[in-house]
Amino acid sequence: MKSFKHSCSALIIALASSAACADISVIISANNPNSSLDQTAVSKIFLGKAKRFPDGSQAVPVDQDEESATREAFNTNVLGKSDSQLKSYWSRLIFTGKGTPPKQSGDDASVKELVAKNPNIIGYIDSSAVDASVKVVHTF
Amino acid sequence: MKRKTHWGYPLLASIIAAPAMASGDLQINGFLSVGATMADSNDASIAGADNQGGFKNDNVLGLQLQKQVNDSTTVTGQLVSRGSDDYKTEAAWAFVTYAATDDLDLRMGRLRIPFFYYSDFLEVGYAYNWVRPPEEVYRIGFSSIDGIDVTQRFSSGNFDGSVQFYYGRFQGDLTINGTTLAADFRNFTGLTLTGETGNFGSRLSYHQAELIIPASAVDPVEDFRYSGQTSTFLEAALTYDDGDNSAIAEWTQLEHGTSALLDDSAWLISAARRLDEVTIHATYSTQVDKYDSGINGDMQKARGLGTEETSITLGMRWDYDSSTALKFEVQHNDEEMVQGADGDSAMLYSVAVDVIF
Repeated sequence: MKSFKHSCSALIIALASSAACADISVIISANNPNSSLDQTAVSKIFLGKAKRFPDGSQAVPVDQDEESATREAFNTNVLGKSDSQLKSYWSRLIFTGKGTPPKQSGDDASVKELVAKNPNIIGYIDSSAVDASVKVVHTF
Repeated sequence: MKRKTHWGYPLLASIIAAPAMASGDLQINGFLSVGATMADSNDASIAGADNQGGFKNDNVLGLQLQKQVNDSTTVTGQLVSRGSDDYKTEAAWAFVTYAATDDLDLRMGRLRIPFFYYSDFLEVGYAYNWVRPPEEVYRIGFSSIDGIDVTQRFSSGNFDGSVQFYYGRFQGDLTINGTTLAADFRNFTGLTLTGETGNFGSRLSYHQAELIIPASAVDPVEDFRYSGQTSTFLEAALTYDDGDNSAIAEWTQLEHGTSALLDDSAWLISAARRLDEVTIHATYSTQVDKYDSGINGDMQKARGLGTEETSITLGMRWDYDSSTALKFEVQHNDEEMVQGADGDSAMLYSVAVDVIF
């Protein structure tokens, strides 16, 4: 599955097109001065292990809603965990008061809107939804 | 200097654009486990079950409230009601957290004692594969104290670690060998180290306390009273999880100053394999008491103290829907020694549903 995704994104880059299959972008506001983040940095923020961007400003991750295919792809490819594994991970933190999961914030459009408005928010959307209001820091 | 230039806008933007993200949200979370058990005989005691069927002992309801009061302060309360305790409701957690930095937390109030790897979420069945943590190892009859703790987290590259120090006092009823007595454990203190890198994790903890049980003053033998002697507990765990396969090994050792309790050691090893929504797992757990040397050891035997037991548990967890797990478990419990005498063995069948909400 993973290698399929990889070859898929390679194909997209080659054709400079995102219509063929769903490529996903991790995004921050165009007003956020940070540039690219590697997979480790992204997953640390989304797992509540890191609370700041590399420049020291606060990072607030937002999730897509549970039914979202984008969310499932993000969980599998970036966080490397299934939905139930993540639930179990967060239940260990929630019930010890140590952390809360990223807020569920709708679909591509609503996450993009949230991210565009607030330089502290980081989210992920289907690459076809990316526009100038947001900055892509990681793709997969 | 350049970095600071974007601060003005984000602050304003976050106030206007994201009220839902603000610190003031009251979060309510809960967990519920319901289970049924059936033992094939009453020859050995496992999880308070018998051969007439049980629908009570594994039932646990927990409700948690959490509110961030300001940038640095959060309050957390967790009320737990256990079937095994006739659904009496107890505050398992009730504390104020002061986040001194992103990585340094100070907490005060009622806290879970971090004895074991699973201590923090001991009763949140959804957080682990078993119906209940193996009793041979998870054998300490109380789990919360009132006190303070400090946790420092650190992170470098792929490594995440933490150091936790706590100090407090336990005052409450405790059941020892079937008798419930008022206990007062003073100068309760401990240190926990955790480290995680990639798929591997480790945990090391040390705990100690001075045990006082006023009612034990009637015991004619001074060494068998609980009059402030120190008990110590040492624990080490190694974990592995690559998403498909996971394993844990946990070793513990208890040493008591009073002869009324036997020193012991206990450990478990468990492995699990995930196949989509289904996880199958197998666990071996064992506990062995050790008599004191000399006359106190002879008296411990005469008083019918001493246990030695082993369990093998095979189970299946099915995450059949979001936030819900259904569990089946078969456990073979072999009590080589019970109350200083030869024991027996029994099989226990368990079913449980764990939900978080």
